[in-house]
Amino acid sequence: MKLLRWLLALLPLGITIPVALVLQLLAPDLPRVVVRADPGTWLILLGGVATLFLLARAWLRRSSEKQCLEVINAERQQSEEARRRFYRRLDHELKNPLTAMRAALVNLSESSGSMASQAAFSDVEHQAERLSRLVADLRKLAELEVRPLEEYPVDIRDLLEETIDAACLQPGRAGRSVNLIAAQVPWPLPPVTGDRDLLGLAFYNLLENALKFTGPADTVEIRAAEDGRNLTIEVADTGPGISPDDLPRVFEELYRGANARGVEGSGLGLSLVQRIIARHGGELMVRSRQDQRHGTVFTVRLRVARDAGITKPTVTKR
Amino acid sequence: MNDSQIRLLLADDESAITANLKPFFERAGFLVTAVGDGQAALDEVAANPPDLLILDVLMPRLDGRAALRKLRQSGNWTPVILLTQVGESTERAMALEEGADDYLNKPFDPHELLARIKSVLRRARPGQPSLASSWRLVSDSLTLDRRAHRALLNNQPLTLTPKAFSLLEYLMTHPDDLLTRERLLDVVWGWDYPAGTRTVDTRMAELRRVLGDDPTQPRYIETLPGEGYRFIGVVRAEP
Repeated sequence: MKLLRWLLALLPLGITIPVALVLQLLAPDLPRVVVRADPGTWLILLGGVATLFLLARAWLRRSSEKQCLEVINAERQQSEEARRRFYRRLDHELKNPLTAMRAALVNLSESSGSMASQAAFSDVEHQAERLSRLVADLRKLAELEVRPLEEYPVDIRDLLEETIDAACLQPGRAGRSVNLIAAQVPWPLPPVTGDRDLLGLAFYNLLENALKFTGPADTVEIRAAEDGRNLTIEVADTGPGISPDDLPRVFEELYRGANARGVEGSGLGLSLVQRIIARHGGELMVRSRQDQRHGTVFTVRLRVARDAGITKPTVTKR
Repeated sequence: MNDSQIRLLLADDESAITANLKPFFERAGFLVTAVGDGQAALDEVAANPPDLLILDVLMPRLDGRAALRKLRQSGNWTPVILLTQVGESTERAMALEEGADDYLNKPFDPHELLARIKSVLRRARPGQPSLASSWRLVSDSLTLDRRAHRALLNNQPLTLTPKAFSLLEYLMTHPDDLLTRERLLDVVWGWDYPAGTRTVDTRMAELRRVLGDDPTQPRYIETLPGEGYRFIGVVRAEP
């Protein structure tokens, strides 16, 4: 490609030299062409040549930048594909031993009698279930990349209310409440286009995190507003906050921050949220403080549905 | 050996799985044969016809899917539970096309597999294709055309989201079965999460709205409070 450009650039000279030689040989007596001009004209001519040179250089550079970008994109796609393959293999390699373990555990617990061993079995069973959930989350992550998105108008307020109800009904959540502040005046929130179940999973994970890292004395709040183009949903809590060291890493797969040690979870929840929002062409951000006004705010930005009909989600953006 | 005992054939290349599931099913009163690949499963079916097959998908020699296809092509309608990855819609379509009666994601709770076995056996019509392997299902004025991915009510096409269609499909292929929300999440969505049960309720509400089914006096979908859902219409397969 690059060689072709250079050849193209040399083409005019490549044509004129042989033509000049042929002319010299066939008609050596042609009259000379003498050009005389004032300094101003020469200056303009010189300027023209310089501009042509610079234009040609700019054109060459731009096309080589484009090539670089293509290479980078291809490499990125390859590494994404490699990551997907890794998930699929990991999922496959984990699920068989787990299936065997769970079957073995049922056999053991049904054949054993003593209280102490029953307690041990139920512990191991619990851990096997935890691993099963991890496998399930890995599978969700892998599938999220390939599964076709449902693209229908989603009423976010309705979805948030449902998510809050579901999260507060989980065991150990008695007495917890979540404030929902959704803009309603002068018009209700417009719908976004997307996969309701996946968006629900994303908001549930954010809310679940907020509830998990806060106590009954803390406040958890969900705010939703729109600006005509985007819908912004914030999940905010007055929990201990995320340390500045952990903050840039919270969306990484299996990353567990200092606060998260000792709290049960797969370490994939936020990665899932990020994937889901990215596939909807949206953005996900986090802010957190650990001083007196400690707490964390996750912000999701989703595009408002165009004419509330069915629109295509645009390219993935982070 | 008791002749009235129900015979299960379990095919999985992981001996750790078959070795642990076998005693579990035996305690539940079944007669269990375990094999390590799809070809061995077909050989066993020919030699000693079982009442139900449990097939893993990824196996050496002949995978579970190919074994199932061969079985159905030869006109054998023995009920089959496929241990597959059903989250992806293509996988589900394939499992259905090949005539699986039910499918379950690994890793599963053995009790859940036992429950599925019992319900598949209850629905089984010996020697006949099951509803799960029929392309056109009819219940009263509702018709499900699985090949065209279309549902008709009084011959009028219904507008359903793909998820609601899959849900209706699973309901109609498993009539009279108590379907817990967890099970529906597993088989229709392919994944489960604590709040997912609400997701099922939302889709079920959509389905009922489209079907014009009154939850207090249902023709098709009955809610069993605290348990799940049940398709109560009589379903028959149409050629």
